[in-house]
Amino acid sequence: MIISLEWLQDFVNINESPQELSDILSNIGLEAETTDTNVETPGVIIANVESAEKHPNADKLKICMVNDGDTIHQVICGAPNVEPGQLVPFAKIGSVLPGNFKIKKVKIRGVESNGMICSERELRISDEHEGIMVLPDNLKLGDDFKSSYGYKFHSLELDITPNRADAFSHYGVARDIACATERKLKNLEEKKTVLPSDGFKIPISSENIEDCPRYIGGIIKNIKVGPSPDWLVQKLKSAGHRSINNVVDISNYVLLEMGHPTHIFDYNKILNKKILIRRAKKNEPITTLDGQNFKLNNDHLVITDGKHPIALAGVMGGENSAVSEQTFEVFVESAYFNPITIRKGSKNLSLTTDASKRFERGADPNGCLKAFWRVVSLLEEVCGGELISEVIDYHPNPISQIKISLRYSEIISVLGCTIEKQKIETILSGLKIAYKLKNDIYKCTIPSFRPDINREIDLIEEIVRIYGISSIPSNTSLNGVLQYGNPDPESYLDPIKNSFCAFGFHQLFLNSLDNGMVADLTEKVPVSMLNPLNIEMSNLRTSLLPGLLKSADYNIKHGNMNFRLFEIGQIHYINSSLDNKYVENKTIAGIIHGNEKNTSITSKEKKENILNLKGIIVSIFRKKLNMNLKFEKENHTAFLSARKIIINNHEVGYLGEVSSKWIKKLKLDLTTIYGFELNISPIKEMIIKKKEFTKINSYPIVQRDLNLVMNENLEAGNIINLIFKIGGRYVLKVNPVNLFFDEQAIGKDKKSITFSIFFQHPSKTLEDKDVNSIINEIINIADNKFSAKLRA
Amino acid sequence: MPIEEKIDIVRRNFLTDIDSFPQDKKEIENLRSKYLGRKGFISELFVLLGKATNEEKPKLGKKLNHFKNEITDLFELEISKINDESNDFQKNQQDFTLPGNEPRLGSLHILDQTLTEIKDIFKSIGFHLAYGPEIDDDYHNFSALNIPEHHPARDMQDTFFVDQNTVLRTHTSNVQIHLMEKKDPPLRYIVPGRVYRNEAIGYKSYCLFHQVEGIYINKKVSMADLKGCLEYFVKQMFGLKRKMRFRPSFFPFTEPSAEVDIWDNDRKQWMEILGCGMVDPAVLNNVGYDTRKWNGYAFGMGVERISMLKYGIDDIRNFYSGDVRFSKQFI
Repeated sequence: MIISLEWLQDFVNINESPQELSDILSNIGLEAETTDTNVETPGVIIANVESAEKHPNADKLKICMVNDGDTIHQVICGAPNVEPGQLVPFAKIGSVLPGNFKIKKVKIRGVESNGMICSERELRISDEHEGIMVLPDNLKLGDDFKSSYGYKFHSLELDITPNRADAFSHYGVARDIACATERKLKNLEEKKTVLPSDGFKIPISSENIEDCPRYIGGIIKNIKVGPSPDWLVQKLKSAGHRSINNVVDISNYVLLEMGHPTHIFDYNKILNKKILIRRAKKNEPITTLDGQNFKLNNDHLVITDGKHPIALAGVMGGENSAVSEQTFEVFVESAYFNPITIRKGSKNLSLTTDASKRFERGADPNGCLKAFWRVVSLLEEVCGGELISEVIDYHPNPISQIKISLRYSEIISVLGCTIEKQKIETILSGLKIAYKLKNDIYKCTIPSFRPDINREIDLIEEIVRIYGISSIPSNTSLNGVLQYGNPDPESYLDPIKNSFCAFGFHQLFLNSLDNGMVADLTEKVPVSMLNPLNIEMSNLRTSLLPGLLKSADYNIKHGNMNFRLFEIGQIHYINSSLDNKYVENKTIAGIIHGNEKNTSITSKEKKENILNLKGIIVSIFRKKLNMNLKFEKENHTAFLSARKIIINNHEVGYLGEVSSKWIKKLKLDLTTIYGFELNISPIKEMIIKKKEFTKINSYPIVQRDLNLVMNENLEAGNIINLIFKIGGRYVLKVNPVNLFFDEQAIGKDKKSITFSIFFQHPSKTLEDKDVNSIINEIINIADNKFSAKLRA
Repeated sequence: MPIEEKIDIVRRNFLTDIDSFPQDKKEIENLRSKYLGRKGFISELFVLLGKATNEEKPKLGKKLNHFKNEITDLFELEISKINDESNDFQKNQQDFTLPGNEPRLGSLHILDQTLTEIKDIFKSIGFHLAYGPEIDDDYHNFSALNIPEHHPARDMQDTFFVDQNTVLRTHTSNVQIHLMEKKDPPLRYIVPGRVYRNEAIGYKSYCLFHQVEGIYINKKVSMADLKGCLEYFVKQMFGLKRKMRFRPSFFPFTEPSAEVDIWDNDRKQWMEILGCGMVDPAVLNNVGYDTRKWNGYAFGMGVERISMLKYGIDDIRNFYSGDVRFSKQFI
């Protein structure tokens, strides 16, 4: 909401600069920022347009003679509205306009121009830039524009929190300023006209008193619709509103002044001459003032003429009853509608207006009457109107006043410091909260414009707000009770994350929202949103891999070919057989691509390969976390020759070379890339850093190389397992160190592998004969079982 | 001398020669040609074999072939063990001015690092951590937190709906409710996690971000306690001299509510970094706590925002770009 500083002055004295006032407001919970309207415009002065003649070389330009009371300047002006006799803001040669726009002497189409007549936008007063700004006649030539007139447009932008219906107006903001600065708050002008004795009544009724607890209406005749007077235009402009016509402006003026929305109907368009407030029927049509067509339903409250809707209650008027230039009789509505009803209706149509914003926060049920009379008196004053009906105050269900006990002790307890009673009382009075103090308890009566105050704590909040949080001292003692156990249940992730980092992986945080095609890749049922941001982000991801692959593609296209990436995050999918069908799994995924190491004179180029990835998984989960890790062949849509990862007998994920099917579907330009993904949820309880000491075995290690020739397609794991099986506890480790193919030397479709075997006995020095017998047995069984023969 | 004996002599010589296997490429090559070259010992032996009797030939042939294979394998193995380049390097007098072989460094994401800093600060003053679901029901995300269905406060957070009654959490406060439903007071927790907002993506906002919310429930907790705690956090995070202010605000789940701003010296303006307040009694009632006995404070902050302010990151989208050039700045 834009608040005009000049307008605030109607109700409270303000000596502060816009910046100072903005700080005061922010410190009492009305977050404020200064706007562009407050910028200085040095060198801009008041001047008179003496003449405006057509430019000889340009149809749209005029040569103006501008008098600043001292000198006459020749100025070229392109504004369509410039005319002799106007007072205008004039930027002399040498002045600097906002945006560091320096005014210099120039020639325009062959004619000299000495300065500029400014539009409102150039002075940052409004967005208006179609024409120059025309000033009221009572200003003095040569005076500084800003200090003689421009200051009237100084404004602040306020971010009003949803609880503060009362602060949604100039008067409301003035009330808070007066309270915080302990200044006097002037009363709102309240002028009641004399009621006509022979006035007639317009019947008003409501189908549901909950929806509309109060409705005030009256008829005004002899209205002359036309432009608003300068003061009204200027006030609205200073609060960021455009003038439309005098009738509409008056309703807006009252809204901005006191925060209560009113609506003005063309009385002659209310066909049945009565008002019935009811819920809309299913599919009942309405065209609103702004020309939108809606089909309504039972959630919407409408004002009708007994038959047809003429307004969407509390949101916007109907086109069929709108005030036009021909209007001469109007019906003025000032009502209090149920906040929930208005909110539902406005949400439902996605139609938010200045009126709906105020009603849904809770307007002032007693403000209705004041607002009504304010509108009527302005219609009389500005549009020549005359009240001709009785004023109907339909008020079937008066809202009762709220009384709250506020304990002094409770204030101290919540604040954590003492506060003088006198200060509390000043604050309560400033907020127009009536109170009686008895036995250290304030019996408070809450004004009707504060629907947000219902409890003692709400009152304490008000005290704190005005007293200032900065006035409360900080307690720097470490109070509370001790809590036992591991403070962070996710600390089990630390060794995993840190290991990936140590192995050169960059951790990524990627978007959890994918399109349907990507989310479907895993063949799980994705969780999709009813109201997605866009179609590309309509589902929660069912796998972390697509995001990582997209990043891989992105990085390659930006010149980074070699990388290892990982992410830890949640994946989601639907499993309808579960109580909570939305499954959420904490997942780790990673990919490796390009060269394994940076190449240099002493380090050869080496491509990443699947054994690198396998080794990383083994190091982290088997070696570091001491878990039982196994891999099994199993098909998986994401990988070529996928391996299932089994940890402590839980199937937790897969690894392999990423399948071209996925890469194609993701529309990426990737070739060989390896990846894994595993669900940490089932094993997180088992990732305990339980480490145990075993006595170091200091008996010598015996190494033997065993070179076996076998069929090319025999997997080496068979032999390794065999060695461990036969060697039992004497085999420390088996390293396959050399792989060799040579048709002539070893035969067609054969390979030879050298296994380096390390033996160690737990309690004695191994002798040759011990080792030989094991080796011989390995050779025998390898031959029998796998036709793997010792290389001749 | 019988051929068989000659083979054994060559074999013994060979074993002596390889007793300390040469590490230099040229020496290995010399050694190889000494045995396996065109005029090497093995060739000589084969020449001799040609002169053997037909009876002897198969047996000797087999023996000689075996020996040749043995030697060939050994050379293969040993040569593969030697890094040629490093040998060339050795020869080049170990030129230290060549760049070192840097192992590739990985990195934790800057949000992870920032979160760790935040966690550590709160752990140091007695907070434990709790985690909870990203998909939750309306009750835990809104109603239990005193955000009724048809209240303008719902507009403060644009929400993704999964079904009529289920949302992607808009804050991690849902976990506070789960926590208090399970545990009796007193308690002191922070809750980090990913949250979602149905907001257009720009340099300042993204459809998701990470939050840390905190809650402390005990007897006679005051705003002075809240201030002490959060001032400690800000000073630990941003430095002892950082200017900060508390400003009254509104959140449905706290009363009184406040926001904390820190002064940004580059932009010359206050920057909001967290929201806080005394837990609204309505929230405590919803989880069955006796509000005559217990009260407390709560706070919430965006990890992205803290990180952006601390490290001068000007566009929130950097965090989720997956660009390693970004990662490498925060190794």
